[in-house]
Amino acid sequence: MLLASPCPLTWFEVTPDRRGPGPRIRMTGEATNPGGGDERSREHAVLLTAMAQGDKAALARLYDLLAKPLYSLAFRVLNDAGEAQDVVQDVFLQMWHKAGAYDTSRGSVFAWAATLTRNRAIDRVRMRKRRAELLAESAPDLQPAAVGNDTDSAGSLWLREKAGAVRSALTALAPDQQKAIELAFFSGLTQQEIAARLNEPLGTIKARIRRGLLKLREILPARL
Amino acid sequence: MITERHEELAALHALGLLEDAERSAFDSEMARHPAVRTLADSLAESTAALALTAPQVEPPAGLRDRILAQADASATGRVTAFPLLRFAPWAMAAALAVAATWLATQNLALRNENAALQTERQLAEVAYKMAQNQLSERSLLAENMITDLGNRLRRSEDLSRLKISALASLAGNTKEAQVIAVWDPGQQAGLLTMEKLPAIADTQDYQIWIVDPAYKDPVNGGVFHVAADGKVTLAFKPDQPIAQAAAFAISLEKKGGVPKAEGPIVLLGK
Repeated sequence: MLLASPCPLTWFEVTPDRRGPGPRIRMTGEATNPGGGDERSREHAVLLTAMAQGDKAALARLYDLLAKPLYSLAFRVLNDAGEAQDVVQDVFLQMWHKAGAYDTSRGSVFAWAATLTRNRAIDRVRMRKRRAELLAESAPDLQPAAVGNDTDSAGSLWLREKAGAVRSALTALAPDQQKAIELAFFSGLTQQEIAARLNEPLGTIKARIRRGLLKLREILPARL
Repeated sequence: MITERHEELAALHALGLLEDAERSAFDSEMARHPAVRTLADSLAESTAALALTAPQVEPPAGLRDRILAQADASATGRVTAFPLLRFAPWAMAAALAVAATWLATQNLALRNENAALQTERQLAEVAYKMAQNQLSERSLLAENMITDLGNRLRRSEDLSRLKISALASLAGNTKEAQVIAVWDPGQQAGLLTMEKLPAIADTQDYQIWIVDPAYKDPVNGGVFHVAADGKVTLAFKPDQPIAQAAAFAISLEKKGGVPKAEGPIVLLGK
């Protein structure tokens, strides 16, 4: 299970020349949107529209809703609280500036924000010259994570539900598919590096990732 | 139609695993095929959901305020920037004027460059023609040289075909005679040069014979009479075709010669 026993950070490496897909996330429909398809997702879109008109309160509200998962993602990739803060700050400011140019009908706000965060975090990882240090460090989930006050807000509840749905979907994948996808998503390794790390042929890794993501896509709408 | 390859590329694209070239190619593919883009988008959306699987960590308390303060600063920037819009038409006009000037300068520069390039091209054409003429002349010269060499070679070959024999005396009165026979099988003709050949009676003639193994008897090459000084140079041609001139002989015969040697052989050479 991916989250019950997350991969150790020894799997993580810096890859200097890869980038994830750009921040433009298209939607094929709300049913496939893990961060959308519900009231909360629509609220995200409304807030983004308000931000485009200079509504700072909307930015504050969106921060309240998304800061935690985005910060957690950045921290998971970077394993550095200071850098994770910088990434999250950059992402929210970018959303603030680009809100008017973003077409919410083309993708969920959460997916856009998550993609921006992941790309920026991986870029930072690549810029580091401390690959050996990273490999020696412990996994982020083994860090004394400052688990926040999840018990109060509706936003936290929404996050817990979504996160639970995604985790549940992941458990439906074969363990080798989970592992390959996790390495690709959180570490920024190249295809070849993932194949080398898992000691499998490149074609096998590609097939695992393809099958895993397709299955994830099938499962998530039914669970969300 | 979505293929397995499309699915693979879309999955790798969603995870940012495509190399630059692959990503460019896949972007083009998505632009051409909306179904491929839809597939890629849906996988990207699912992939983004993986962010939620990261262990949840509360962001630092001060981060929110920092972000809002930064947003404030940029919002102020927006307000101060707005009045500039009034000057946008003037700024645009000024920009167009600058652009027009720049374009005119560029145009002039390009024209000059074009003229220079044309001159350069003409010079190159002249040089090319000169080189072509020189090449033709050299080619003609080389052709003549080859022809000359060929002629020389043929002459050498002709000479190598010739058979040259020195005839030795077989009679007591021709001991001092010096006779050379040259035979050209191609021409089926020969040449005899003789010195100090003894004079003979008017009722007699020297007769030339060519010995060819193809014939039982030597072949008649004609008769001749020697002058008082004993010098004779004459061409001869046998009565019959000679396949192999194995030897030459000169006999002393009655005036006018005989079809088959009867008299004594005075000179013989192989």
